[in-house]
Amino acid sequence: MDNKKSNQEIDRRDFFKKAAMSVTAIAGTSLISSNARADDPAIMHHVPWGQVWGDPVTKNRYGVPSKYEHNVLRRNTKLLASGNFRASIAVTPIQESMGIITPNGLFFSRSHGGVAHVDPAEFRLMIHGLVEKPIVLTLEQLKRYPSVTRTHFIECPANGGQEWRGPQFNSVQFAKGFMSCAEWTGVYLKTILEDLGLKPEAQWMLAEGSDNSEMGRTIPIDKVLDDAMIVWGQNGEALRPEQGYPVRILLPGWEGNLCVKWLKRLEFAAEPWYCKEETSKYTALKPTGKAIQHFYANEVNSTVTSPSPEIDWSTLKDGDLIEIEGLAWSGMGTITNVDLSLDGGKSYVETKLKGLVLPKSWTRWSYMHTYTKGDTLLLTSRAMDDAGYIQPTIDQEVGVMGVESVYHRNAVETWEVNAKGEVNHVQIRS
Amino acid sequence: MFKLDRKLLTTASAAAALAIITAGCMGGSGSTSTGTTIKDGKATIDGGTTYPVMNNKTGPYYVNAEAISMKINNGRVPTANELAAWDKDVMPDGTGLPEGSGSVEDGEEIYEAQCVSCHGDFGSGGGGYPSLSKGNAVDLQKTLTNNRWKDPEADGPTRVFGSYWPKLSTLWWYIKDGMPHPKSKTLTNDETYALTAYILNINEFEIDGVEVDDEYVLDREKFLKVKMPNEAGFEPNIDGPNALNDVRTFYANPTNFGAIKVKVSERCMTNCQNDTVSVRRIANGGIKDFLPPIDSTRSLPKEEKVAINPVEIYENNCAVCHSGFLSPASAEWAGYTAKGMDKVYASAIHGTEGGMPAKGGTTLSDADFKTVVDYLVTGKTK
Repeated sequence: MDNKKSNQEIDRRDFFKKAAMSVTAIAGTSLISSNARADDPAIMHHVPWGQVWGDPVTKNRYGVPSKYEHNVLRRNTKLLASGNFRASIAVTPIQESMGIITPNGLFFSRSHGGVAHVDPAEFRLMIHGLVEKPIVLTLEQLKRYPSVTRTHFIECPANGGQEWRGPQFNSVQFAKGFMSCAEWTGVYLKTILEDLGLKPEAQWMLAEGSDNSEMGRTIPIDKVLDDAMIVWGQNGEALRPEQGYPVRILLPGWEGNLCVKWLKRLEFAAEPWYCKEETSKYTALKPTGKAIQHFYANEVNSTVTSPSPEIDWSTLKDGDLIEIEGLAWSGMGTITNVDLSLDGGKSYVETKLKGLVLPKSWTRWSYMHTYTKGDTLLLTSRAMDDAGYIQPTIDQEVGVMGVESVYHRNAVETWEVNAKGEVNHVQIRS
Repeated sequence: MFKLDRKLLTTASAAAALAIITAGCMGGSGSTSTGTTIKDGKATIDGGTTYPVMNNKTGPYYVNAEAISMKINNGRVPTANELAAWDKDVMPDGTGLPEGSGSVEDGEEIYEAQCVSCHGDFGSGGGGYPSLSKGNAVDLQKTLTNNRWKDPEADGPTRVFGSYWPKLSTLWWYIKDGMPHPKSKTLTNDETYALTAYILNINEFEIDGVEVDDEYVLDREKFLKVKMPNEAGFEPNIDGPNALNDVRTFYANPTNFGAIKVKVSERCMTNCQNDTVSVRRIANGGIKDFLPPIDSTRSLPKEEKVAINPVEIYENNCAVCHSGFLSPASAEWAGYTAKGMDKVYASAIHGTEGGMPAKGGTTLSDADFKTVVDYLVTGKTK
């Protein structure tokens, strides 16, 4: 029996060898190597976790990711850190992101005086200035207002801002990860103002945080009375401290810095405040010497997230059918189209949008590609939104903004796939 | 009441009429938009789309339109003292700026004691924190037209307080509220005037034709006479009763901010590039000091270290100040350890008047933080 069985196995092995050779002959390349048919120990053996008790449900009262996911992390660089990482940023691993929601623990974190830990019992929100009735709210009172829930990205307007003069980061996490997207729950500011009564001369609102930098920004009334929210919920739970627990402002689509965290005070006035972060920073200097201030919305943008410099195509085989996938987003509306170029922007093909397509939200797009080993590609995505904007080329954007703006860079970005399938960040420009 | 003219357009007919204005820019696959770039008959403030609440929906979202427009009487009116306690902002016209005074001389003394470790000698910067001066503000303001597009090696624009900021009020307010960084809101009004005077001095300001020299004493009246060299350096206009219209007009023109509008049907799909472009790759290896290093593998992590790593804690929390003075194993420590290690530990754990934050701003236990102190004093870890 045993002998016969092993003979049969030898016969089968010969069959597969011949089959492999004939396929090789037809395709002109080795699709099935002799190793491919070795039995997989992951199938042939009992796995260690399959023969013992797992954890009881009483473990991890608040769940944590699998220990194997330990490299899916926010990251930072000393280039973007003041001193002790208290006026600094840690960015989201968008190469690992799935769908359009960023898990709360991976949401990018930016602060100007460190992450404050606010005691919700001592939280107060004061709203005053040019209103008929100023008020103070406790957290409990604030959360009694009728809530709304919206999916919006928040983006630091310095996303990509290190690369005006040329590519610097061989990483999608650092080139485009100064942003995240979540489902936010809170109250429209306009709902609170129904009762307070805004005076007609009010043009501006100061939003001020309670953190050690007392981060403040001036917000125009147009946004306050449109879709501005005070939020306390993030993906179905309380805001994380890094996102301003217990309460932050959310201005859908606008600079992350305007969405003031650890919120403490809103004041209405006829004139703007000239806060530190809206003058010394968050202004875009043009070649004319004039700088754009109050540069609110993050413009239409997109990136290829798969492949990426982090997770490339070096393990793909010739002829593999592979999805090129990415994100598109616009703080000025809803994504309508994403086009993909395989030649760095000479020509484009249309991609398909995937999943929910929501205003001022991350939007997924997809394009199926047959990979030819040894090919070099220049992958460039280009998004449009329903306000009619399209991403500019680098030359177009720099032609107006120069290279010293720091903020609001949304020109198309390119990954070069080399002959080995490795992916590098490049720019196509004059 | 004020509100009628500010309300969002909610009638379907008005919104439909406005939608025609932007219809040429809409369409394409996957659009769920009912958006418009016009609101209340005006351009939107950001040049983007807005989604007015119509028929209990805003864009793709259902909404309880009745609930969100009700007058809900939550909270209470703050007391006058409460308002005064929190309403501390300072506006360019002097609103909120208290009386007080401070000299350049006093400002320099405070600066040397509490600011220099981050902002460097004479505001030169360091440790990643911003420079407060690079020299004469009026001269440096002229560098703002510098642009390194054609020549990456050329001098760029110098954006520091004196050459760039449009308003002096910003400086006073931020120092009072946010500085010194590890222990903010600890400076008096006079100390804030003194620091402001010192920063004006190192930026070589004049006030009303008088040089802000080492003897200068700044007060509220003089403060309000300061002219910032780059006050007119920003767009759009945000001052005065027509400010919001100025902002709307600015963002209604995409060429003002480097944006491009095109009809979906007219976007370029072939021959989109001119011949002058080339592939520009990352120069000199680029920036790679990522923490932690980029890694996408799923292999099991190494065993977690139980003990803290004093060297790492030093690098992340202490080095910004201690790399220049009382650095690890520096001879300067002798003057402190001579009084006993207990005193050194106590100062490190509780902080000092000289600017050392308690436990260096960490949340370590006393015992753990002592091992960090040991490392600073000896340069060795146990």
